[in-house]
Amino acid sequence: MRDLKHIIEFEDLLQEAYNALARQAKEEGKYALGYTCYFMPEVLLDLPGCFSVRLRAPRSGSPDIATYYMSNRTCLYGRCLLERALEGGFNFLDAQMATETCTVTCRFQEHLQMMDIIQNPNFFCEFTDVPFKKNDNSIEHYEKQLRAHVLDKLTEHFGIDTSDEALLTAINEHNEVCRLIREIGSYRKLDKPTITGTEFSIIQLVTQVCPKYLIIDKLRDIAEDLKTREPDDKLAYRCKVVLTGSEEDDPYFVKLIEECGALVVADRHCYGSIPGREDIVVREGETPLRAIARHYLETSMCPRFMEQHTMRERKQFLADVAKEYKADGIIICQMKFCEYWSYERTIDTLIMPRDYGIPVCSIEKEYVNNAVGQLRTRFQAFVESVEIKKIQGGAAK
Amino acid sequence: MKMGEIRDKVRGKFAGKPAKEGTVKIGSKRSLKKVASDFWYGKPHEERRLGDLYIGDTGLYKHREWRGVVDTMYYFNMIWLYNYAHMVTDIMKYGGGPKGVINFAKGTWRYRWMGQTYLTVMHWFDRGLEGMRGPILRGSAWHYRGMVSETIRQFQEMFACDKKLHGGIESEQWKHNIAHNETVSGSIFYGFHDVLEDIPLEMIPYFVTCHVNNHTVLHYIDAAQSIGLPSDPCPMCQAEYGIFVLDDYPDFAPTMITSNEACDGSVATSVLQDWFLNRPLFAMPQPMRYDDPLVQKHCQKEIEECWKFIEKQYGVKFDWDMYCKYAEEQNKLTAFEHEKWDVAANTPYYPINGVAQALYRIYYSQDGNRPIWHEIDEYVRKIMNKTVRNQIVTLPKTRHRVIAWSCAPLYYSNWCTWAYNCWGLNCVINMDSLMFDQFLRTDTYEHALEDLSWYNEKAPMRAMAVGGHEHILSLWDYMEKFNCDMVVMYDQLQCKGMQGIHGVFEDEFRKRDIHAIWVPHALPDKRTVSRKEIRKIINDYMITVMREEPLDPTLLDFEDDSSW
Repeated sequence: MRDLKHIIEFEDLLQEAYNALARQAKEEGKYALGYTCYFMPEVLLDLPGCFSVRLRAPRSGSPDIATYYMSNRTCLYGRCLLERALEGGFNFLDAQMATETCTVTCRFQEHLQMMDIIQNPNFFCEFTDVPFKKNDNSIEHYEKQLRAHVLDKLTEHFGIDTSDEALLTAINEHNEVCRLIREIGSYRKLDKPTITGTEFSIIQLVTQVCPKYLIIDKLRDIAEDLKTREPDDKLAYRCKVVLTGSEEDDPYFVKLIEECGALVVADRHCYGSIPGREDIVVREGETPLRAIARHYLETSMCPRFMEQHTMRERKQFLADVAKEYKADGIIICQMKFCEYWSYERTIDTLIMPRDYGIPVCSIEKEYVNNAVGQLRTRFQAFVESVEIKKIQGGAAK
Repeated sequence: MKMGEIRDKVRGKFAGKPAKEGTVKIGSKRSLKKVASDFWYGKPHEERRLGDLYIGDTGLYKHREWRGVVDTMYYFNMIWLYNYAHMVTDIMKYGGGPKGVINFAKGTWRYRWMGQTYLTVMHWFDRGLEGMRGPILRGSAWHYRGMVSETIRQFQEMFACDKKLHGGIESEQWKHNIAHNETVSGSIFYGFHDVLEDIPLEMIPYFVTCHVNNHTVLHYIDAAQSIGLPSDPCPMCQAEYGIFVLDDYPDFAPTMITSNEACDGSVATSVLQDWFLNRPLFAMPQPMRYDDPLVQKHCQKEIEECWKFIEKQYGVKFDWDMYCKYAEEQNKLTAFEHEKWDVAANTPYYPINGVAQALYRIYYSQDGNRPIWHEIDEYVRKIMNKTVRNQIVTLPKTRHRVIAWSCAPLYYSNWCTWAYNCWGLNCVINMDSLMFDQFLRTDTYEHALEDLSWYNEKAPMRAMAVGGHEHILSLWDYMEKFNCDMVVMYDQLQCKGMQGIHGVFEDEFRKRDIHAIWVPHALPDKRTVSRKEIRKIINDYMITVMREEPLDPTLLDFEDDSSW
């Protein structure tokens, strides 16, 4: 397939947390607001006057100082973020809008709070409590938390307008980005997809780490470009897979999977678009903030939710995604030392083949993918096993 | 055979090494006085050579120690005999008469955690009470007694209506039981206390048993990993889950109530348990940022939702008067705990040793109000009043007052008994004892709910570990409050929350010039860091950093890996 518009530029933007567009926005007087988790609604951080940056630590090596602070038995994502912060890589942040949603990222953010790490006189770190359920009580609670710990703080520190009108504007802009991402992502559902998982991963990540107003035109270009993009005559893949699991912000990892013959057609992980890029709908009689609180709780498929029906719905959701995107299998990736996903991966590995007949490749990986040989072998073996199943299935028919 | 030969043979068999040169000669007038004194009062601390009591490398005893006439008789009658007798009579008392014995036998046969631990209970006493004398022997033993009694009550309740033991029959009693995570506090169920029985599902099968016999739990951890769970998540959660993998949980209730206490692993475990249990389940999470006044209403509503779930499932109503009655009873336990802390913090007369303090406190506060706790507290109150009144120093060889911070190694909860005997380290208080420290008001429903939610937010392992770094760093305040000069810093290798703040503690210890011994462990899993390795770490610190001599050198190095 021909190169997608802006894809090289987008790939470049992912090489640094403080990328060229973030610099540009800062020079224009916008406030940079960091966050790590889907439960910190990026739409609130994209209010006029500020922009959201979902934290990544691209091109990380060995996080030695962070390992002193957090030991080598915590997830490398949290440690790499701390190392990057200690190196000065996040000094452009004006605030970290934190959540205590998983232990290690919480501890990372606490370090930002208690140690003088971010060399920015404006910097503050504020925590929001996120509920574990999706019921009305939780939505109400979450709304109050977002009001007190996000909106009020933004007004107090930076004078940001957090009125309903401002929120509605932010929602509309957010929805436009989501609409474009969904449109771009929809080409993955084709029998012969015209966008690869790697390309989509780059685009999705750029929307999370760059000021949206600086990329929206480029997203439109890409969506337009895809309308006329043709698949290669000879398919470059042997099967299609859903990539699910914990934190994953490395497009080269997706590339690794695709090099092994599995096209990644759906991304259902912490930094993915399923869920994540659905429209925020403000219902009649509902305040914009209430709609945002409801949206983020209702759409999230995080293993942190512990109600019985949500635990079970997560499996069905994953099976539905596989079906919708015509995937032949699921790759479940868990960041090493992630407690939530170690359990979720285990149960998914048992349940998905047993109850839904979907083959699963279950892996544990590091944030920094230096040793990819073993992973490559695993993926290649999985692709072969899926192919064999297909052949056997065809023979049976 | 001459008397001398008999004496040498006996000494060789039981006493281990011969007496050192320079000690008092046998047969002299002074030696007779000394022998008589040792016989009557027991040997002085430095001469006890407790390590010589162990058989080879097993950590098991050749015989129990001679503590002097009074204490040995007390140990034999009021600890050994009394508890063995009650371990039989409680089976019937809580099992509804002779049929309780049958249920007990069935349970022992059916469940690994039961069969492997019941007869090892007295060794658990021995380990925890080694070297103790006088009031602290008595006070600590009563705490142990309370835990044994409550454990029997709980498993007898479970066995009486366990479908797995009764041919799948859902008895009337089964229909009136509530199963819940061991981390859901018993206080939640006070409003149903007289009509429904709440029993923590993993408390006995996992938590209690791994203290008594540290081999049992390993099987469950292995089972959890055998189906694909990585080895790094909290081994406590792994063990709780492994019980389900092996179908080794009693099926005694129609519903399950879970909690997010204490960590990510607890939440995730309940997901897996749900797939095995497959019955109505209510999740009752507590907020993470619990200091935030805004979270309280949310937490209160979740508790009320839990009560509604129980009402709906069991067709009974929440009884406000019943709640008040038991909350007030619990307040008496809390009030006494505060009294105990006062004595522990400000005097050397505290008659509870480190292990009894830690285990009893976490057990009863988590379990909630039960008659046995009041009974035990009365015994302990009398002992404590006496030690304070008569100014009896309960651990006279104390060199350092220690606070133990973070979660303890469950397979070596009695490390503090060893540390006192060997080094004079007196573990005055531990982190988990300091949770659940508030009273429950009952003047209005609103106050009651407010306190209950706050109470549960500050549950064991949770109050210090979540909700902001200031909680875990409250160590400095507690050190001061309890007049401690040293910290034993539990380093739970698989606890992400504690590992995630490791370096900050290192910095602070240096900055504040505090002696802190990092004790690595993996909660119930002794294979990661053995008891012997823990002792070596403490020995190394005491010798190389503190430059101190052991009080009892025979305890420096011995192998007890095969021991319970």
